[in-house]
Amino acid sequence: MGTESWLTLALLAVFAPVVTGAATMLFPKRLITLRVGMALLGPVVAIVALLQQGVSEEVASLAFAPTLGLDLSFAADQLGMFFALLISGIGCLIVVYGRGYFGRDEKSLARFYPMLGLFMTAMMGIVLSDNLLGLFMFWELTSVSSFLLIGWNTQDRTSAKLAMQAFAVTGLGGLVMLAGLITLGVTSDIWSFSALEAAFDAGTFSLAAPMVTTAFALIFVGAMAKSAQWPLHFWLPGAMAAPTPVSAYLHSATMVKAGVYLLARLFPVMRELSWWTPALVFFGAITMVVGGYMAIRSEVLKKIFAYTTVSQLGLFVCAYGLGGLNYSHGSHGGEHGEAAHGAATAIGDPNIIYPITQILNHALYKAPLFILAGAIMHLTGRTVLGELKGLIKKHPVLAWTSLAAAYAMAGLPFTLSFTAKEAFLYQIVHGAQQHAVLWFVGAAAVFMALCNVAIFVRMARTFFAPAEAHDAHADEHHHAPERGFWGACIWWPAAALVMWQFVGGIAPGLFEGIIGVVETDTGNYWATLPGFFYAMTHPSMALGMSAVAIGLGVFLGFSPIWSGARKDIHDRLFPVTLRLGERAGHRLFATVQRGDLRLYVMVVLMALVSAMGYTFLLDKEAMLAWPEIPSINDVDYALAGWLLTGLICTSALMLPIMKSRVVRVLILGTCGFSVIGMYLLYQAPDLALTQVMFEIISVVLFLLALRLLPERGAGVRAYALPRVVFATLVGVSVGWITLHAGSAADQSALVAWDAAQGAPEQHAMAGETTDASILRVADETHSAGGRDARPTDARPTDAHPTDARPTDANSTEAHHAPFVQPDDTRLGGWMLRNSYVGTTPDTHGRGGGGNNVVNVILVDFRGYDTVGEITVLSIAMMGVLALIGACPAPLGLKERGPQKHLRSYMLRTAMKLLLPLSLLFAAYVFFKGHDRPGGGFIAGLIAAVGLAAYRMSDGGAALKRLIPIKPGITAAIGLALALATGVAPLVIHLFTGEGGPFFTSNNAYVPLIGGGTFHWTSVMLFDLGVFIVVVAVSVGMINRFEEELD
Amino acid sequence: MTVLLSICVAVIFAVSVYLFTSRDLKSVAMGVFLFSHAAHLGIIAMSGQPLLTVSGETIRKAAPILGTSEAGLHVDPLPQALILTSIVISFAVTGFLLALLVAQHRRVQSMDVADLRDEDRPELPASIETVEMA
Repeated sequence: MGTESWLTLALLAVFAPVVTGAATMLFPKRLITLRVGMALLGPVVAIVALLQQGVSEEVASLAFAPTLGLDLSFAADQLGMFFALLISGIGCLIVVYGRGYFGRDEKSLARFYPMLGLFMTAMMGIVLSDNLLGLFMFWELTSVSSFLLIGWNTQDRTSAKLAMQAFAVTGLGGLVMLAGLITLGVTSDIWSFSALEAAFDAGTFSLAAPMVTTAFALIFVGAMAKSAQWPLHFWLPGAMAAPTPVSAYLHSATMVKAGVYLLARLFPVMRELSWWTPALVFFGAITMVVGGYMAIRSEVLKKIFAYTTVSQLGLFVCAYGLGGLNYSHGSHGGEHGEAAHGAATAIGDPNIIYPITQILNHALYKAPLFILAGAIMHLTGRTVLGELKGLIKKHPVLAWTSLAAAYAMAGLPFTLSFTAKEAFLYQIVHGAQQHAVLWFVGAAAVFMALCNVAIFVRMARTFFAPAEAHDAHADEHHHAPERGFWGACIWWPAAALVMWQFVGGIAPGLFEGIIGVVETDTGNYWATLPGFFYAMTHPSMALGMSAVAIGLGVFLGFSPIWSGARKDIHDRLFPVTLRLGERAGHRLFATVQRGDLRLYVMVVLMALVSAMGYTFLLDKEAMLAWPEIPSINDVDYALAGWLLTGLICTSALMLPIMKSRVVRVLILGTCGFSVIGMYLLYQAPDLALTQVMFEIISVVLFLLALRLLPERGAGVRAYALPRVVFATLVGVSVGWITLHAGSAADQSALVAWDAAQGAPEQHAMAGETTDASILRVADETHSAGGRDARPTDARPTDAHPTDARPTDANSTEAHHAPFVQPDDTRLGGWMLRNSYVGTTPDTHGRGGGGNNVVNVILVDFRGYDTVGEITVLSIAMMGVLALIGACPAPLGLKERGPQKHLRSYMLRTAMKLLLPLSLLFAAYVFFKGHDRPGGGFIAGLIAAVGLAAYRMSDGGAALKRLIPIKPGITAAIGLALALATGVAPLVIHLFTGEGGPFFTSNNAYVPLIGGGTFHWTSVMLFDLGVFIVVVAVSVGMINRFEEELD
Repeated sequence: MTVLLSICVAVIFAVSVYLFTSRDLKSVAMGVFLFSHAAHLGIIAMSGQPLLTVSGETIRKAAPILGTSEAGLHVDPLPQALILTSIVISFAVTGFLLALLVAQHRRVQSMDVADLRDEDRPELPASIETVEMA
């Protein structure tokens, strides 16, 4: 099986559930059966895809953001395959059970399946991801999707709180883990599990480094939080607020197992870490005891099962710890008589054994228990165990199946659970013979087992007890039970699962034949485990412990000891912490945030000035020295510079003096337009273009807004003198900083220049390599047009401005390489060199294929930033719409009274001509933007100016006729388009092998009819998204203000 | 040139700080608007002059558009990209700020900074009752 096909299969396995889940949203609400079938298709496809691949160590990878070390890479080794099959297998049953549980409740079903699909995908992603950050991504996705599922009942405040609690604990745990993963990745440059294991085996990865220890400690916390280990276990019982199908899934096969999975995944490496295994044993043992005790002290059925899950998770974690301890003494494995039989195999490769014995075993009884608890609640309306007397008569099927599952939970003979418990006890005994302290763990295990037995006994006693006569509504059904196949769906998934408990307990060989497909190298594994017959014929310490647990458990079950409900004190932990945090935050807020804007400004800027003052004290000489500024012998520049400076300063200084608001806005505009000149001087045509349009729109915006505001200001003038002094102080400080920083840049430019002079060879070489890559790109992109078509070739080749240039630079100039000083190591220099072609054309560094470097940076190099930016733009616009909408103008307080629109006939006629022209110009600037000044931002602003003018002359109705879509929707379309260009290369890569990571660009020269060529780039679509957002935002804002004036 | 730009930055900064500390909200808004110019000019000043003086001879750098420079010398494109982004963002900020002012005026009929202070501060949230099991 090739890597390519595995990639496809893995993506299918991971994403099929969410896709089919989402697809169910498309069906009309009434089509229930079709909906169930569609939802079922997801996990089924996943299973088929996984079995098609089979267990292999092969890693299939789809580059996503390689510079961050983030790939979508998947591997289905034994561990991953086991978990993935468990998740998708139980997932199928949960889908079916969901139909039985929600019955014909169309609304709930329509909500349930998409969420469940998302959750399933997240879980599959966790267990199949090979990349560390990929794992984290899916990890947090489970937190998010489980939040949605736990907070299912949106009307219930408690439910919302519990969902928040689960999210806070697991989400924060996940963030801690992220810190760990990043620390690990940055210090060792290992970003995937396969690389970690390989490096560890090769001996190139050392656990001794302190940063590595820190990293694993952080990862440990994350795993512990997810797997509900004490003291972070309290979120798990709270997660019961979810509908039962969800809790059954969360508790048995998924969410809580994610932490255990991570421990298992790291086990081969981590067992060598000295503190790792004792920590696992310690926390696991405490969790076992806490979980067991809380389970027996609970009365609500689901809560009992939830706490038994907690104790069981403690057992898993503990088992990994023990495995680590035993492993390090592995050579003694075979020497301990009867214990060796089962445990020796376990010592051999604990990674495979634990999941299959313990985790599969747990899933096989815990999922049925929850499923049945839900069914009982559904049919009788009862949730408390004590109220279920006589259940055996009323609902015999439910009661018997529940008892069978609880029997398995108690680990009684002839179940898989018994075997699993025996294996665990063997492990303890085996370890305790070397570390006496482990006998405490043995005690914890016995305690937990006896609690489970007692729970089983109490359940049986209650079910068989005669129903109370005065129980009036005993026979009333909470819900009318549905007949037929769909009605039975509420219990048969449970029966289907619990059956395997007994198959495994009685006929391990048969069980192995059917279930054991995922283990490939352990031989007849199940038969080697200490089953009931084996244990009876080989009495051992472990069997003794088992017997003690059963005996005490039965006693406890019949006794009234520990029968009342008791609250888990840890439940208070989260609310109390949260409240303390809120209180402290509020205090702090009240102290710091006094609500005085001027005070804030003062504080912030005073901090700046005092920082300046501090450095002044440190080094008086350097701070006071006038920086060395290279003299300029260019009269034109100097003259223009002085003129613009004069304009800027004068207009700025006039601003506070002027009274009339219109005049002030015009002065603002003057200042802005002078700044444009400055941009031109500084060789920034893109900035100048943007600034022109920005200035126009802003002045319009200001004028519109000011008309909505009163003419008079606050009336009271704040004391002017202190303000002037303060402002001068701040201004001089910032100016001084600018001066120093600017001259430093000039100095470094000179140094770079000198270095270039000193190394002519290097210079030439750099030119040649760049040249070669240009040629290569040219050959690829336009074989028809020839090199003449390339715009870069229009450059003059001879004229040399100064003799200071080395003579052999000819080779560079002649081929028009995008040359900068070769050792210009600044980021900007790199971007100049790579803007047109990449350094490595064969990989993803092809460059942007554009000559306008600023535009290439915006849409290509930093495309992801730009997505963030246009998102901010859209949010700002939505804010404007919402703010003005939320505060309608009070009646009788129309600021100026309604003002008529400019109904000038001349203007309207002119606009009819000007609008198409401005749109045409925008289109020109847009298409030219990649190679010449322009681009999406500028084109968007140009179009917006045209549209705004049109709106002013012809009114809102005319604009609405022109663009009937709401600005919010338009902005969303633009955003979606921009993001789609980012995702597209990934999809293309999947199907054709071309493409590449997130936001990889592509470009080519397409010959046009008539001889020219058109420079196609994929970022053009991205730029189109930017364009749409900018137009939507600018026009949307202006339109909103104008509507207020109308 | 750097000196000139520094003067511009200092003056614009001083004026906008002066406006920030005004009591009139409209002036504050203008201050914010002006402030962005100062920041942009500051950034571009720190990217270095567009001129290079080598042994008494002054060379002009070209705009960061490939193929426009005979000497192959371009100014740094990165600050320009940052500023371009910033210009567009400051447009959004300006629009949002003006909408805030309009909303504020309609709420309290005042343009005084002092009236921004919310007299009815948000109360301490009602203590969250102990999380109860469902």
